[in-house]
Amino acid sequence: MEFQDNIPIYQQIQKYLYRQIALGLIKPGEKIPSVRHLAVELTVNVNTVQRALNEMNNEGILEVRRGLGSFVTNDINLITKKRQELIKDTMSEFLESTRQLGLTPEETLKELKNYIEKRGEN
Amino acid sequence: MSENLELENVSYKKNRQEILKNINLKIGKGKIVALLGENGAGKTTLMRIISGLAKNYHGIVKVNGEQDVVQRKANLSMTDALKGLLESYTIEQVKNFFLSLYSDFDIEEFEKLKDFMKLNDEMKLSQLSRGMKQKLEIALTLSRKTNLYLLDEPFSGIDVMARKRIINSILLWKDPDATIIISDHFVNEISSILDEIVIIKDKTIYRHLSADDVRAEGKSIDQYYEALYEDGGTE
Repeated sequence: MEFQDNIPIYQQIQKYLYRQIALGLIKPGEKIPSVRHLAVELTVNVNTVQRALNEMNNEGILEVRRGLGSFVTNDINLITKKRQELIKDTMSEFLESTRQLGLTPEETLKELKNYIEKRGEN
Repeated sequence: MSENLELENVSYKKNRQEILKNINLKIGKGKIVALLGENGAGKTTLMRIISGLAKNYHGIVKVNGEQDVVQRKANLSMTDALKGLLESYTIEQVKNFFLSLYSDFDIEEFEKLKDFMKLNDEMKLSQLSRGMKQKLEIALTLSRKTNLYLLDEPFSGIDVMARKRIINSILLWKDPDATIIISDHFVNEISSILDEIVIIKDKTIYRHLSADDVRAEGKSIDQYYEALYEDGGTE
């Protein structure tokens, strides 16, 4: 995984794991890979992974069980809510970048529709 | 006692020239720290003071709580390992030398690292390229089971793929409580593995902060570091 160098790494690890959970690649109740495994896979250090997991534990998305590892919550509502948050974040980033191009949200929507319709043609 | 390294009011002169002054630094257990500074800023000197190779400094240096130089040396491992070894030595001879010299030298660990770095016993030091020597030094340094590792510019003259291998080997084999200090003049490839950065400038510790705190300001570590020099240093 390539990290952006100007955003705290632990936040990027959180986002990465949220995506995996939102996409169902890691299922509710399932154990996530060990801290060491994630550190090597993502080329980050274990303290940074631990910090990301602790934050997610505080939010309730993960349950860190001492000595056993970290497990995804069984609370489907919470996962759905998190997924909605991710969608919202992505939308707001997208709207911000179109705003910088001088587009209003309505114009953005029109352009987006147009783009999606034409995309199949090429 | 959670500090693996503690420096208090350390200063160092060489030939009456002040090299380092008022160095105060505490590094906790398990941290991976970059020691940054221009060439000649005193990074190597600081490591040599910590390891006990540079003498006649003023101030207090503690490694794992120990001030005594012999105890300090037992508690740390530094990448100046190949200095003074005969060029005709094979890697196997170097390995045996380390085995006899350090009681904490873990031969199994070394074998793993050696394979990982694509080195083998029959190779002679004189045949090794700069990059391979660097890899051997790192393998030797990391094979000791100790509290503090001092890696002095381990990536200079090493290609990108080899750097990645070395970084991975650090992540794979580091004991959770062991502290690693890596000196360099830029951090680029290693920035994702860092907990903290320490910047040496104007002969002292100019900044010491968490890597993610720098990023929280929207800056990469290299940007932050370079900006310190652009914002009108004393030179």
